[in-house]
Amino acid sequence: MAVVTYLEAIRQGLWEEMERDPAVFVMGEDVGVYGGAFKVTEGFINRFGPERVVDTPISEMAIASAAYGASLTGMRPVGEFQFMDFITSAHSQIVQILAKSNWRWGAPAPMVLRGPTGGGVSGGPFHSQNNEMAYVHTPGLKVICPATARDAKGLIKSAVRDNNPVLFFEHKYLYRRIKEELPEEEYTIPIGKARVHRQGKHVSVITYAATVYVAQEAAELLAKEGIEVEILDLRTLLPLDRDAIRETVEKTNRVIVLHEDTKTGGIAGEIAAIINEEAFDFLDAPIVRVTSLDSAVPFSPPLEKAFMPQVEDVVRAARRLVAY
Amino acid sequence: MSTKSLTAPEKNAAAPIGVSPHGIPDWRLEQIPFHIESEWVNGEFGYKIVGETDTPVPPLRPSKYLDKEKSIEIYRLMLVNRRMEESLERMYKQSKVIGGLYLSLGQEACSVASAFALGKDDWLGPMIRNQGSMIVKGFQPRDTMMQYMGKAGSPTRGRESGSHYGDHRVHNVIAPISHLGDSISVLAGCCLGARLQGRNIAALGYIGDGGQSTGPTYEGFNFAAVKKLGVILLVEHNQWAYSTPVEMQFACKDLADRALGYGVPGVILDGTDANQVYDATYEAVQRAYAGEGASFIEAKLMRMKGHAMHDPANYVPAAVKEYWKRRDPILRYENYLKAQGWINDDELKAISDGVNTWMDAERDFAEASPMPDPADAATDVYKEDGPIALKYGPVVVHEANQRAQLKESSAPGHYK
Repeated sequence: MAVVTYLEAIRQGLWEEMERDPAVFVMGEDVGVYGGAFKVTEGFINRFGPERVVDTPISEMAIASAAYGASLTGMRPVGEFQFMDFITSAHSQIVQILAKSNWRWGAPAPMVLRGPTGGGVSGGPFHSQNNEMAYVHTPGLKVICPATARDAKGLIKSAVRDNNPVLFFEHKYLYRRIKEELPEEEYTIPIGKARVHRQGKHVSVITYAATVYVAQEAAELLAKEGIEVEILDLRTLLPLDRDAIRETVEKTNRVIVLHEDTKTGGIAGEIAAIINEEAFDFLDAPIVRVTSLDSAVPFSPPLEKAFMPQVEDVVRAARRLVAY
Repeated sequence: MSTKSLTAPEKNAAAPIGVSPHGIPDWRLEQIPFHIESEWVNGEFGYKIVGETDTPVPPLRPSKYLDKEKSIEIYRLMLVNRRMEESLERMYKQSKVIGGLYLSLGQEACSVASAFALGKDDWLGPMIRNQGSMIVKGFQPRDTMMQYMGKAGSPTRGRESGSHYGDHRVHNVIAPISHLGDSISVLAGCCLGARLQGRNIAALGYIGDGGQSTGPTYEGFNFAAVKKLGVILLVEHNQWAYSTPVEMQFACKDLADRALGYGVPGVILDGTDANQVYDATYEAVQRAYAGEGASFIEAKLMRMKGHAMHDPANYVPAAVKEYWKRRDPILRYENYLKAQGWINDDELKAISDGVNTWMDAERDFAEASPMPDPADAATDVYKEDGPIALKYGPVVVHEANQRAQLKESSAPGHYK
């Protein structure tokens, strides 16, 4: 069985869905002959033709809303943004048109908008952002942020099959760094279900996307000190898996919420509120947030490193919680 | 049609003015002989008329395509549009309407005659004032009435107001949103979806002289133009963007000149003339069916009411209102039908009585609808799982290589 990167896993998922269902098609900037800025759709135009691999003018708003228009005719479009930073250029369409469509006038929008997100690659403030929370705050959308190749493939397939507008944030730092063996047989991963990435009993780190691996490194260091860290990978931010959050709190009684997104208004605050509402009695210590700083994403490596949450930040927080 | 550029047209000649200075066909029978400038009067800033406003109204030219029966039906639908809004205006004054009320007095020809040129499978992307277009597409006056009253029986079950409703199953009407220009690329997507299912359809969208200032208007229509999708962008140039005169909205003389920039055919017409509106839209629809792509129509007309009922439009000089009142689209069409010998006063009265009776029944139905159940406030945020049917039939792809295999991608050289 071949070892497959996170990026190849997404390619496989999209390819399989396009083979399975002719209603699925991709559209975006440079997705055709060039194969997309990160080569996610490379070769797709030969297999599926220019009709189902649609190069568009540079307009994220038109990609989002033309995909939506096509979905009104029963198609299942997958729109690509070259960087998820540019999702803000389609914000009005996503929030006002797509998200409200089923609620407002009973018109479902079975469609996906996907693209690379996140930092760690010196992309600077316009090619590194984590914009997911603007959309987690928008009822009617689904928001997926996978961390593993297996999940990336299984979740992109579920996203394509979902009858709602799904935003699929692919972490570009993971694209070619994460590799794993995937099942031979076809599979999907359900939207809205978290995954325990590592079992532990002393502290839970609730996280998603690239910081799953920050948590993993921290857990390996902490294990040497006898601190067993449980890592919960949320996988989907909207809808959130509240059961999984509650279960890990009940198990470890100490919680770090870790994310690469900035602190204020990040999902950590929402998770802390959920724990307050549903599992407060199980807490033995305050909930700690480990996140990026409240600023834009800097370009130069030392600045970006200072901006993003590091392994030692998680280690420090875990020690503090255990000693609390 | 003359191809000569007429910069100083002979006033009121009973022939098309010809072409705009930039070569866009102009099908009007007259040009607006005045414009608005701002001025200070006794320490107050306001607007004044420059030019004449008392020029005579030319009689309508026959349509190239509409026969007697269709012409009379357009007349009837324009009357439905107006009577529905008159009924709503009364309900507003009786405090039965919740929130604002947006009326299209003076714009009925533009709404009705354009939508009348669409086929059953074509899409409509209305704006707030295109309540008449939605009736042409199959909705009933009661639908708009119940929307304005927030009733459970309204198409959005009280979730939305006014013309903010639609239907993707039968009528093919996109529910408008308040953000101007955002529906244009949605219409392009409808055409794209249909084309993938083997059909060239038309999709008619409206934008105002104010709304067309937005980026989404450009991005959406450029998308339609370059992809050769059958979007018909009808710019309803009604002279005022809320309270801002067009002289403060854009620097060009004719918005239809922008067709040149999009690379699509454009046309200028008189939006109070149902024949001109129908003919131009009909030709654009045929272009769409032939797979020739998008079209741009600029209809010049006047919003005879304020932006909404709360706005008495005192900023509009009185003589401007009088000029356009003489160009009332329904009155002009009535005179045209009579001049053609297609209708007499008795028949006109019968149509009017029929519309009135229907409208009373629609109002009674709407008023009798219950208010929504509070338990319905936050249902249907998501669509449940299950198949969603293709609207136009199976996907048709002409170019594909069945033997092509998925290979490992080549690594891009950036953001590693």
